[in-house]
Amino acid sequence: MTDATHDIPTNASAAGPHGEGPPQLFDRVLLKQRKNRAAGEFDDYNFLHARAAEDLIDRVSAVTRDFDTCLVLGGGGAVGRALKKRPDVAGKFGHVIEADLAQGLARTSTFKGLVLDEERLPIAEESVDIVLSCLSLHWTNDLVGALIQLNRALRPDGFFAGALLGGSTLTELRQSMMAAESELAGGVSARVSPFADTIDMAGLMARAGFAMPVSDVDRVTARYGNSFVLMRDLRKMGETSVLKTRPREPVTKRFFVRTAEIYSEKFAHEDGKIPATFEILHAAGWAPHPDQPKPKRPGSATVRLADALGVDERNAGQKAGD
Amino acid sequence: MTTSQDPSQTKDRPRASEVDPKLLEILVCPVTRGTLEYDREAGELISRSAGLAYPIREGVPIMLPEEARELSD
Repeated sequence: MTDATHDIPTNASAAGPHGEGPPQLFDRVLLKQRKNRAAGEFDDYNFLHARAAEDLIDRVSAVTRDFDTCLVLGGGGAVGRALKKRPDVAGKFGHVIEADLAQGLARTSTFKGLVLDEERLPIAEESVDIVLSCLSLHWTNDLVGALIQLNRALRPDGFFAGALLGGSTLTELRQSMMAAESELAGGVSARVSPFADTIDMAGLMARAGFAMPVSDVDRVTARYGNSFVLMRDLRKMGETSVLKTRPREPVTKRFFVRTAEIYSEKFAHEDGKIPATFEILHAAGWAPHPDQPKPKRPGSATVRLADALGVDERNAGQKAGD
Repeated sequence: MTTSQDPSQTKDRPRASEVDPKLLEILVCPVTRGTLEYDREAGELISRSAGLAYPIREGVPIMLPEEARELSD
């Protein structure tokens, strides 16, 4: 969970509650409060969650098997609502459990509601058949650790599909805030959360023990009147930064005004609207099972590749056409 | 109007502290990963190993240690 453009301090105050485990970048209690506060109007501001949910369901529709128990993480009810529109996919599931960190969001679920923290997953080992995570895992302090817990919760040959916000998310806002802060205060601090890098996701899935991991990226550009409207929408989504090391002193109005000016100067379209990039990383993989296909050991082939392709074999040093 | 039904309760959602049997089947204590006892009367999921009782609100188990009640005995 690092972003090359930010060095996140990992000082003593950012360590785990007992000085153990990975550094605590995110304040999960604050995240829960933000999500609960956003719950009332969430449906009006959940376009990202709705989009990610529909993509997750598309992915499941391509899998030719049924899943008895489906655990949904996050999304504020978006996955349940998307499932209602896709009876072909809903029909693959015996039971659907919609879980969220915030009770305000879990109680709006279409199916069985549950409140949990992905960092301390209260799910028995090998008890669910599929996990769908909708824009929730980018707030975990230990993404691999959370994925490992989910892998353990899955039965062998269970399926995981997740969507989370990636490193290019809000790049324009990040740059504008840094420029404004540098101008006004002579230094910068991390005000926008770091996100997982695109290139890491399949690797993180493999590290968490998932078989046949895949990942891809969905880049979304939303347009806003100005950065004040963008930041209001982020609050309404419950997606504003909960960095532990975020600056404690309140920022001045001047800072936000200057951020908005820089944002417009640098990024505005001809009609004056500003773009905001959201990078949704999709990752999927399977809980290991002995019957799954595995890569063969190097050198174990019994047929030459050149024969299979019906071409002449060439030495690596030879150029094509020699 | 003390007997009126809450219109927000949907048919397939268990009322009050009733928990769906499927949830009971898969839940464990998030602190100890031990088994849970369902106290229907109190509307709680009890983890003896952690000494915590997790509340159930509107049929939704709240599996967060910071919102659980500490068992006195």
